[in-house]
Amino acid sequence: MEFPHIFWGVFGWMIFWAVTGSIATRYFYLRRDLDTSNAPFVGAMLGASTGPIGLVPLCLNTPELTTRLMVMPALASVGVLMIAFGFADPENFCVANGSFVASQIVNGLIIGIIYGFMALGLTLIFSILGVVSFAHGEFYMIGGMITYFLTKVWLPGINPILAISLACLAAFAIGAAFERMFLTPMYEGKVDRPVEYGILVTFGLAFTIQYFVQATAGANPLKASRYFDFPRIRLPSSADPWLIKTSRGNMELFETISISNPRFTAAVMCIIVFGALMFFLHRTWTGKALRAVSQDREAAAIAGINPDRMNMLAFALGGMIAALAGAMLVQAFSWLPQVGAIPAMRSFVILVLGGLGSIPGAFVGGVIVGLFEAAGTGCLPDPQKAASYIPAYGMIILTLTLLLRPTGLFGRRFATGAHGKF
Amino acid sequence: MKRFGLLAATAILALAAYSGAAEAQSCPIKIGGLTPLSAPGAVGAGEGMRAAMLIAEKDINAAGGILGCDLKVIIADTEGLPEKASAMMEKLITQDGVVAVGGAYHSSVGVASKDVANNRKIPVVFAETWNDTITGDKQKFIFRIAPLSSWASSTLWQAALLVPNIKKVAILTENTDYGIPAAQETSKGLASGGVEAVTFSVDIGTQDYAGIVERMKAEKPDYIIVLATGEAGYNFAQQAADAGMGPQDIPFQAGQVALESKAYWENVPDGNFAFVQRIGTPANLWSEKALALNEAYKAVTNRGVIESYSMEAYDSIAILAQAINEAGTTDGDAIVAALEGISHEGTLGRIYFPYGTKKDPSVDGKGDEWWHQWPDVALTMIQYQEEGQSSVDAPIVWPDAYKTGEPIYVNQ
Repeated sequence: MEFPHIFWGVFGWMIFWAVTGSIATRYFYLRRDLDTSNAPFVGAMLGASTGPIGLVPLCLNTPELTTRLMVMPALASVGVLMIAFGFADPENFCVANGSFVASQIVNGLIIGIIYGFMALGLTLIFSILGVVSFAHGEFYMIGGMITYFLTKVWLPGINPILAISLACLAAFAIGAAFERMFLTPMYEGKVDRPVEYGILVTFGLAFTIQYFVQATAGANPLKASRYFDFPRIRLPSSADPWLIKTSRGNMELFETISISNPRFTAAVMCIIVFGALMFFLHRTWTGKALRAVSQDREAAAIAGINPDRMNMLAFALGGMIAALAGAMLVQAFSWLPQVGAIPAMRSFVILVLGGLGSIPGAFVGGVIVGLFEAAGTGCLPDPQKAASYIPAYGMIILTLTLLLRPTGLFGRRFATGAHGKF
Repeated sequence: MKRFGLLAATAILALAAYSGAAEAQSCPIKIGGLTPLSAPGAVGAGEGMRAAMLIAEKDINAAGGILGCDLKVIIADTEGLPEKASAMMEKLITQDGVVAVGGAYHSSVGVASKDVANNRKIPVVFAETWNDTITGDKQKFIFRIAPLSSWASSTLWQAALLVPNIKKVAILTENTDYGIPAAQETSKGLASGGVEAVTFSVDIGTQDYAGIVERMKAEKPDYIIVLATGEAGYNFAQQAADAGMGPQDIPFQAGQVALESKAYWENVPDGNFAFVQRIGTPANLWSEKALALNEAYKAVTNRGVIESYSMEAYDSIAILAQAINEAGTTDGDAIVAALEGISHEGTLGRIYFPYGTKKDPSVDGKGDEWWHQWPDVALTMIQYQEEGQSSVDAPIVWPDAYKTGEPIYVNQ
């Protein structure tokens, strides 16, 4: 960094006013007996971005804290930080190289969509059953493993879509069977501490699946072949394809942004399935029943919905979503029985960031984590540290979220595991 | 009364000596084998090392065992984590009752566990841990048959300096006791040749390299060196290839894991023309013993060819067995004395330790890291020049003493 004092000076100023704003705003809203749930967040963001200029009117007028009032200062804070960084390190690729910035944003978006999708399954399980499934990473792993074996070992030449569907069905069946066999004691009053029981039993499932796969499939890294080749596209013309140029395994946009085929297909599939899932949850009777159970089990039962059946469906669906993410990524990453550990950790972070039990929150949280990781990897001046800190970026966001908005981005104020906003 | 006391003391001493001898030679004689069998360790490599150590156990028992007893290799999973390595070393010694320890893949495992073994006077022959400090602390019970990190790095940068018109090198390293010093030594060596190096360090479990690859691409390097163990090496190489920075795009030295050619080609289908550093005698110069091990290993593991680290794991057990036989006891001090004077015909070549308690490395002007260090490890650079090629068939392109083919520098 060429002028570190600029960056650290601005950063220190922002931190000071963020802390002041967070405390002061809560104090003023509390004094007027107003809702303070979003006050620390808005105060911190407004303080960080505008200092006393924005903070004083906020504290004096105590307006209603709308979504706009939360989002705008947050974006402004990011903007101020970026401008300070630009002045402090003008030679940085993130400042001086536009195509690099575009590539990093696209990379962050793509991986963020996949993260978000993976976290969706965990969110679904949490909102219905009220437990965090520690076997989520293992469902992701078996999705990839089954797809690999179907496409390369058992039935080479099988249509990849069919293989992926079979892997998802297998994960669904495992999830449903496990829920029936091991999770029913939780809501039948057979165990004293149902939440702890849920955590421990899913831990047990994780180890069982992981070591079963290691014993049967071995520990050598596996990888499926690319499912689909990109068609050959050259736009606007073959001679000068500045807009888009594809080869079988890669797509280049504007001669700067390069997207590999496996990541692109995985992200597109995730978006399609996310859309389908939202349709299922909002437009079908079963989906509405799931949402009803997530909001109030007893009321849903009175209305004729069988909550136990919804529990099974949620756990199986959650596992299937993770398996689908794995099935799509086994063509991008080397696959091992332990491959699910890191995505599962990220999913836990995203679950809290998005708001416990919120499906849109999980998706948006995933994208935010993906973008934050891309920014950190690309912009941190010391390349040796930039990549090393990848696991920490998500934790930074998680810490900030817990400090400023403990309910997460889309979580409700009094949401609990079983009653989060759907 | 005095005579009775003397007799009683003699009887007690004799009993103690007898029981000690009986304990030392109780069968089977156990040797520990450290290897990573769970994430985030290099599980594939760990499984290979385990297979090799168990083959060593079988071979040694078929040849008569140790001191008239069968050998039993107790495998311990280090997970590639220092804290787990210390715990496993402690467990092997105190619970399993091993008399010596071989194996180990990650440097961090060697760095963390060596003190435990040394304090408990249990000899260790580390198989694949490169960090200089492992032997650099000059501990009595610690030996190594893997190359030193500084020495292995010198082959990396010397080979890199031969790339035509090279000005800048990008190094991807894992942030471990192996990766960080290896990257530093390599950067220093490249700087001595007037070549700039940019290092990117990552956690060993990293899967997604898209952001790092883009940043590396923006640096416009002329050569890429990967110092990441395990499947991280595969993930990076293929993701770099997807982004137009792979072995077919610019000269690219893949991680050592690429020696497992079957897994390499499955995980890095666009990995042709990658350079790979190989430890140990080149395959065309393998002894009968190495060839026999290769066949046994392939049958057990279903892999294409034995990797260097698995040969090292085999030799680490075999050399300890020979040392115990030569010492005639399982006493740690006696085993160390035998190891210091050993000449073992291993699969990697003739293994011996010229420096130790009898001769300090400084006598020959060498640094402390040469203490209990095998000095003749052959270090070569091979290059895959055909898709699907076995690492045994791939030509050795460096150094000249072992050369079997000319390097192909892509994009020149």
